[in-house]
Amino acid sequence: MNFLMTTGRTVRQGSYVERKNTAPYRDEASCIRMNPVDMFDLLVEEGDAVRVTGAGGSVVMRVRQDPMLPRGLVFVCLGPYANALASPWTHGTGMPDFKTVPVSIEPTTEQPLPVSALMRECGGMPYED
Amino acid sequence: MRIEDVVCPFCGCLCDDLVVSVEGTKVLSVENGCTLATEKFTGDHRLAHPIRRTGGAWEKTTYDDAIRETAEILLDAERPLLYGWSGTFVEAQTLGVHMAELLGAVIDNTSTVCHGPSILAIQEVGHPGCTLGQVKNRADVIVYWGANPIEAHPRHMSRYTTFTDGFFVKSAFRDRKVIVVDIRETDSSEIADEFVKVTPGGDYAVLTALRMIVRGKGDLVPATVSGVTREQLFRVAEICLSARFGAIFFGLGLTMSRGKSKNIRNAIELTEELNRHTKFTISPMRGHWNVYGSNEVFTWITGYPYAVDFSRGIAFYNPGETTSVDLLRRKECDACLVVASDPGAHFPRACAEHLASIPTVQIDPHMNATTHLSRIQIPVAVTGIDAEGTAYRMDGVPIRTRKLFSTGYPDDVSVLGRIYSLVKEAKG
Repeated sequence: MNFLMTTGRTVRQGSYVERKNTAPYRDEASCIRMNPVDMFDLLVEEGDAVRVTGAGGSVVMRVRQDPMLPRGLVFVCLGPYANALASPWTHGTGMPDFKTVPVSIEPTTEQPLPVSALMRECGGMPYED
Repeated sequence: MRIEDVVCPFCGCLCDDLVVSVEGTKVLSVENGCTLATEKFTGDHRLAHPIRRTGGAWEKTTYDDAIRETAEILLDAERPLLYGWSGTFVEAQTLGVHMAELLGAVIDNTSTVCHGPSILAIQEVGHPGCTLGQVKNRADVIVYWGANPIEAHPRHMSRYTTFTDGFFVKSAFRDRKVIVVDIRETDSSEIADEFVKVTPGGDYAVLTALRMIVRGKGDLVPATVSGVTREQLFRVAEICLSARFGAIFFGLGLTMSRGKSKNIRNAIELTEELNRHTKFTISPMRGHWNVYGSNEVFTWITGYPYAVDFSRGIAFYNPGETTSVDLLRRKECDACLVVASDPGAHFPRACAEHLASIPTVQIDPHMNATTHLSRIQIPVAVTGIDAEGTAYRMDGVPIRTRKLFSTGYPDDVSVLGRIYSLVKEAKG
């Protein structure tokens, strides 16, 4: 199903922003909030994994219901999961379209990757403390 | 030991009323701060020592070797990018700009992915802003447009707007009207007197409709504009026009959505229209605690606030071309120095992929997403905790952050100063 993804800050994301390699950061940054009716249509429940695909790539996230969101709009806090989907094109402005990313979402049995594994996909080498 | 009037180095509010209890190099408690401040001060996830990547493995290295190797990487590069700067103090930012000039590099700060479009609009039509103290003491109408302060700037409302009384606003909660404009309901919209829900990408049209009403052309406004009814638009305009002093704060909901800088230009021009009737100001909700400082420093030295390219031997500025995301998308830069930010997490994946493919060096106290993309990371002291330096609050007021205790970490100026010296020596 197709949705429009928007992004923004959350207190929880900010709380863990200097601990990006921890599970709480991964859980917050890889959480996709959506209207409960959209969840019903997608046949997913709270905590289920979904594969989200945008112009910039594809990533696995977990669903959290948010009745404050209108149908068709999903929210992911800013971070490497949301940015795996955003296109790098800036239309000559310097600024990508972080707030309005068209995405498609489908249920999956895969799990969200930790940040280090996401960066490995980008060609990086995970550093473990 | 209990330290008063501590400055919080997290968001652009730069709250300067924290009380922090410390024992040795450990923070025991934080009073007055929000959750973000408490997590910042009590966090203990520092990178312990410099690290470097050789082949397929990471290894410990020394500050001397890491600094020397960083200078060599920058000197070997034809098109180096020096990115970040918003999470460090202005003295370090100053060194960064001078080093960029020596190297013929591009230097860019995190405005490039936050309020860069706001700066472009301000360059077109000016900035009718004011300090947060003016807002606190005078504003009886507050507008948050495309911003969610409860999540992003948790004390903005309690220090400057909704929940704090001012000299001319004796009972803020009763006397200040709050308007929130957003594409979704948020915790901030729940406490608004008027919540204006705009369809995504429709902000420009709503701003234009409000300008028409304020200009006396409201009869031309259609029944709905981007999901907002004509009746609500007139109601919002009336609240603004009846203000004694209004303050608009806007966030990335305007800068990152369709229209970008033109949204901001329209919002500034609405502010200008309102000033024909009453007093109104407009200000961006700056994110990083010293992102405003990076714009100030870049402008003092180069004349431009971000995305400055020295490859021509002079400062050249062309957002859309010399901005980091565009440079990385075009795979143009061949080395990158990241200071006090995390492009691995906050740039589109294509940019992270290019950072991983070139020698990227990071100077940052913490492990983050960029760590995994880097060849070298040099840990430094955290400004405002174990280093001090000047920062600029979101309204342009400079505030000196405090050092609470000493650790063994060098500060950003110390590390950057040594890299700068090596570069200068090589460049002659």
